[in-house]
This record gives sequence, structure tokens and C-alpha cells, in this order.
Amino acid sequence: MSTTVQPAPTRTIAKRKSALRRRNTLMGWTFILPNFVGFALLTLIPIAALIFISFTKWGALGDPVFVGLKNYRTMFTQGTYWTALWNTVYYTIIHMPLTLVISLALALLLNQKMRGVAFFRTAAFFPYITSIVAIAVVWNLLFSPEYGPIDQMLSWLGVSAENLPRWTTGASPITGAMPAVIIVATWREMGYYMLLFLAGLQTIPPELYEAARMDGANSWQRFWNVTWPGLRPTTFFVTVMLTIGSFKVFDLILVMTEGGPGQATLVLSQLIYRTAIGTSGAGGDFGFSSAVAVSLFLICLTITIIQFLVNRRAEK
Amino acid sequence: MKAGKSLAILTMAGALALGMAGCGTSSGDPTGAGSTAETTAAETTAAPTPVTLTMAGWSLDTTPEFKLLADGFHAANPQYTIDIKEYDPSKYGELMLADLSAGAAPDLVPIKEAKVIYQWSSALKDVSDVAAGLPKDVAGVDAYTVDGKVYASPYRMDSWILFYNTDLFAKAGIPVPDGKWTWEQYAATAKELTTKLAAEKSPDDQAIKGTYEHSWQSTLQGFANAQAGDIFSGDYSYMKPYYERVLDLQKAGAQETLATITTNKLTYQASFGKQHAAMMLMGSWYLATLTAQQASGDADTFAWGVAPAPQVDASTTSNPVTFGGPTGMAINSKISADKLEAAKAFLAYIASADAGKALAGIGNVPSSADPSVITTLFAQKGMPTDDLSKFALSTHIVKPENPVGENIAALQTILGEAHTAIMTEATALDAALADAGARAHSEGGVS
Repeated sequence: MSTTVQPAPTRTIAKRKSALRRRNTLMGWTFILPNFVGFALLTLIPIAALIFISFTKWGALGDPVFVGLKNYRTMFTQGTYWTALWNTVYYTIIHMPLTLVISLALALLLNQKMRGVAFFRTAAFFPYITSIVAIAVVWNLLFSPEYGPIDQMLSWLGVSAENLPRWTTGASPITGAMPAVIIVATWREMGYYMLLFLAGLQTIPPELYEAARMDGANSWQRFWNVTWPGLRPTTFFVTVMLTIGSFKVFDLILVMTEGGPGQATLVLSQLIYRTAIGTSGAGGDFGFSSAVAVSLFLICLTITIIQFLVNRRAEK
Repeated sequence: MKAGKSLAILTMAGALALGMAGCGTSSGDPTGAGSTAETTAAETTAAPTPVTLTMAGWSLDTTPEFKLLADGFHAANPQYTIDIKEYDPSKYGELMLADLSAGAAPDLVPIKEAKVIYQWSSALKDVSDVAAGLPKDVAGVDAYTVDGKVYASPYRMDSWILFYNTDLFAKAGIPVPDGKWTWEQYAATAKELTTKLAAEKSPDDQAIKGTYEHSWQSTLQGFANAQAGDIFSGDYSYMKPYYERVLDLQKAGAQETLATITTNKLTYQASFGKQHAAMMLMGSWYLATLTAQQASGDADTFAWGVAPAPQVDASTTSNPVTFGGPTGMAINSKISADKLEAAKAFLAYIASADAGKALAGIGNVPSSADPSVITTLFAQKGMPTDDLSKFALSTHIVKPENPVGENIAALQTILGEAHTAIMTEATALDAALADAGARAHSEGGVS
């Protein structure tokens, strides 16, 4: 009896298992589907269209005319593209580490048990949720060469009039409009990354600190040997997001300086926008604009891949 | 993935538009064939069939011209009605380009800035026949002519003039412009005004400067292009004296610096209307704005007048050279055949002397140069009544602000960057102009 009965449940179990797997797969797909449809419709197809347009001459009206690599050749031979690329790289090189360090420092500071910590956390996060247009207007006023309080404070500190930074009016990468934009961007974004670091800090087991203290580690040693390794996944995520975000900087530049004075703060995203639709509807060159967009996409992709590889090596 | 997503959003609109443009092109031809059929049908039937056209417009509350033209046209041709669709004025060019590309634009397309005509012409109806029938004195048709074909009918024609505050001139004890000014006299007067008004304050307690020059590149380059050189030449040394003059005025404190204007977001309406400056070069559209703001209290009440723009030398003061541009109306090439006749009738109407008088009645400077138009314009409440003001608007050579050309937008971008670089003194004048010239060759299509 047992011999005849024995196989039956195994079969049913197997059957049930495969049915379950099928159901799970189906469920999985159903969960993914809305997102995938959205991704395909809003990301995949437009990217394909973007790559196609980058090989054409197209001004939004009429049909695109295939021109091969002409847009890319123009891009590489044109000074404006290199200026924009250099400005973008410069912005990233300064803005990325600066924001990383400041947001980490803020997170460490506000991770301590002290009075009013919730208030300070909110205060640090506040710029991130404020309208960027309002931010630009207020910071522009602060930076104003004639009435700006920043210059006034600097002159109280003894900086002579001709040595004052030319905040929104200079082309110099050290004392011109670019540092002004970087300061505002860092101030605006530090709260957001601080929040990510705070979340990361919560995941480090307190026992580790306790053990380190028992071993006589000072606070610097505790940071290097407990906090920093414990934060690595967070730091990696923040670095990737910050780098990509820096390369794509657009809105702040547009509302603060419009790329000026001259081309001092012209970045790639703005070049993309400007060549296609930013000239009041006249003279849009969607082909060239798409070529620049493809180059920005490739740059972001390459850097992200490098960061992933570096992170994987560090994990081992 | 994240990077891709944002890039994709940038191109999404373009991709959608691409698909739609493809669908739309096939319907282009039958439209023309249908129109002739409809014309003959209209001729044979006695009662005209009612037609409703759609027209774009912007800021309808503060820009009454669209309703005025639509109503006037309807009154003259009761069978035709025009519905107005409102657009955001600050992004009108971008929005309309997207709508034209997607085939979603209204039948009648106002041309806010003439520089778009080269690119938009492929989506607009050729209205050369309407233009040929317009009165000879209508200004601005040239700005809409691409390869010998006309694509829009001008109804307004604004030119740049010098606004001055008569009260502030009197306070400073300086005679008002006599209509024969060169740029040297203009600059010298701006400095003199600043010095003599140094002790005075505007009613809202601001220092008073001699003149105000808004942040737009056209406030300087428009004059230089009209009076001294050719934007398509790729050699911009002709702008040098113009820049030397304003840099000197900025340094002397006789005009607000570009840096302050952009960082503090100053408006030209407040700068002149609130008496922070005694003079201002501006387009003639400001006539209507200033009278309206003085009536509403947004601007102070003071006596003012307008004079012709300053000239390079005395040789052109009898017929001063300035720049400007028309505002016009074009017809969407996707208009249905049965509406085309009505649309063309509207284009003819808006450039007529009747429409001109109606426009002058709300303070606009119409494209029609009919003498009655200037009389009507200056009969408006709050307008100056002196002869020089009338002369400034009736006797002049108005060069186009943006000459028609494929690369005009690229050249404007290059020169716009040069303008901010020079005016903020971020780059030395000679270097900036030389760089603009080099870029005009490498990026602006100048050969």
C-alpha cells in the first residue's frame, strides 16, 4: 500500500511546485510589467530615437535627413563642445568630493545625541526641497556685485575691492561664476546626501564601536576602522549618484547664470537644451543636440562602470 | 540607467514629435488641391458658409491685440469667427515649434520673433499672394521672406527709440534730446545727467542714473548691426565703439551694470517707470506699457517723450537709422482646405489701415504706415504730444533686428555670449569680439 501511495504525493508536490513556480514567475512579470512598459516607452524607445536623430539633420519640422557622422565630427571640431565638456568636468571634480565630504561631516555631526538634532537635520535638508528658482534668485542677490552681503562681509574682512571674487560676473574658474554655482549646488544638495549617510550610519552595529573603544581606539581610529568601512555601500551609492548628478547639472545653471558670462558656466546639458529648443524656437539643431546627448550618456555610463569595477575590487 | 532616463526625457518630446511629423507630411498635398475646389464652391453659392478659425495668442489679459484683431475681422466679415488659444509668452517660440511639429498648432500662427521664420517656413503656408495684395507702405514683409516666398503678414512694426523723462531733464537743467543726437552726445548727456542728479532720489528712494540699458544683446548689437556693420560678415570689430561707450558709461555709474541687472533681476519697466534712469533705449511697444502703467499707478506720473535713436554721425539724423521687427501672422500648413480662404482674408485684414488704426487705438505701432495711424496713436491718453515724438515713430529707416538667414540663431547665440562676457568685463573687449568672429566661422556657418 505504501509502495503504491508513495509516488503519488511526490508527483503532486512536483506538479504543485512547477505550478507555483509558474505562478510566481507570472506574478513577478506582472509586478515588473508596469515599470517595464514605462521604461520601454519613456526611456528605451526615446534613447533609440536619440541615437538615430544624432545621425541626422533635423529641425523638429519635416523629416530628418541622414548625415552619417557629420554631427559627431562637428562636435569634436567645435570649440563650444570642448568648453562645455571642460566646464562640466571641472564642475564635477570640485562639486562631487566637496559635497561628499560636507554631507558626510554633517551626517557624523548630526548622528550624535544632542539637543535639537531633529531641527538641525531639517535645517540641513531644507535647501533640497526648496524651489530651485527661488534659490537662484536669492543666491544671485547674495552674490550681487553692488549690493550683495557676501561681498560686503568679505570687504569687512579686509578683502580689497579689486580682489573680491567676481561671483556671477567673472569667467575665472577660481573666482568667477563657476565657483558661485558650485557653492550653491553643494549647499543645496548636501542635505540630501547627509540623509543617505545618516541612514548608512544607523546600520553600523554599535557593538563594533564598543569593541573598538575597549581596544583603546581614539575617535579618529574609530572613524577610519569602523565608520568608514561600515559606510562603504552608502559611500559608493552616494559617489555614483553625485557623479552622474554633477555631469547632468542643468537646472541650477539655467536659472542662475544661463551659462554666462560668455561661456564660463556653459555645461553639456545646457548645450543640449540650447542647440535644440532653447533659442525661442528658432534654429533648433536636434541632430547636433542629440549627438552631444549621446556623448554625455556615454560619459556617464563609462564613469559608472568604472565606479562599479572599483567598488567590486574593494569588496574583495 | 538613471542617466539614460533623464537623457531620454530630453528626447522624449522629440521622439514623439518625430513620429507625428511623419504621419502629417502625407496630408500636405491634398490641402492645396482642396482649396481651389472650395473657392469655386464659395463663389457659386450665394450665402457664405460660416468658418471658425483658431488662432494662437499670449497673455490675453494684458495683450488685447489678438481679441481686437479677431473682433475687427469678425465685424467686417460676419461669416468668419476666430477662437483664440492662449500660450505662455515666455516660451511661445518653443511651445509653438513643438505644436507645429506635432501637427497640433492652431490655424493662425502669430510670429512673435521674426527670426523663427526660416526654420518654421516648412510648416507654414506660402502667403506671397496675400503679401502682393497688401498696401505698398506696409513695413516688415521682408522679415518674413525666405527664398523669395512670403510666409507671414505683419500687423505690428516696432522700432527702437529713445525714451526720456522730461521732468528729470528739467531737474538737471539739461535740454531734452533735439532729435539730432549722435552716440557721443547721448553718452555725454547720460554722464551729465548722472552728475547733476546725484543729489536727487527717485520717489522710491533710489539713486538716479543717466540712462538704462537692458540686459538684452539687442540693446547694443541691434544698433551696431543696423548702423555700422553686417552680422553675417563674421567680423565684429564694428561693435567696438558701441561697447567702449557703454563700458565707459557703466564705469562712470551713468548706467546700471549688466551684472547688477542680471543678478538683481532688474526690469526695464521699473527702471524707467519708477524714475531710476532719465533715459532708456527701448522698442516702441513700451509706449503702450508706459501709458498703461502710468494710468494704473505701477509707474510714477511724470512727463516723458521719445526721440529717434542716436546715430553714428550727423549724416543720418534727418532720416535716422534704427532697428526693429514686425509681429506677424502666419497660416499653419496643415489648415483644412475650407478654412484657407478665411485665413488669407484675415492676413490681409490685419495689415490694412483699418486694423492699423484699431491697433494704434490700443497703443500699438502697426505695420501700416497710413498717416492716420500715427495721429490715432498719439491721440491716446498719456502719450506725448510733441512733434519730435511723432517724428521718431514716423520718419526712420528700420533695419531688421534679425536678418533672415539659416544661421541667424547660431550667430545670435555666439554674439549673446560675447555680450555677457564683454559687459561683465569677464573677457577683454578685443578678445571677445575676435573670439565671436572666429566662432561665427567655425560654428555660425559664416564662410
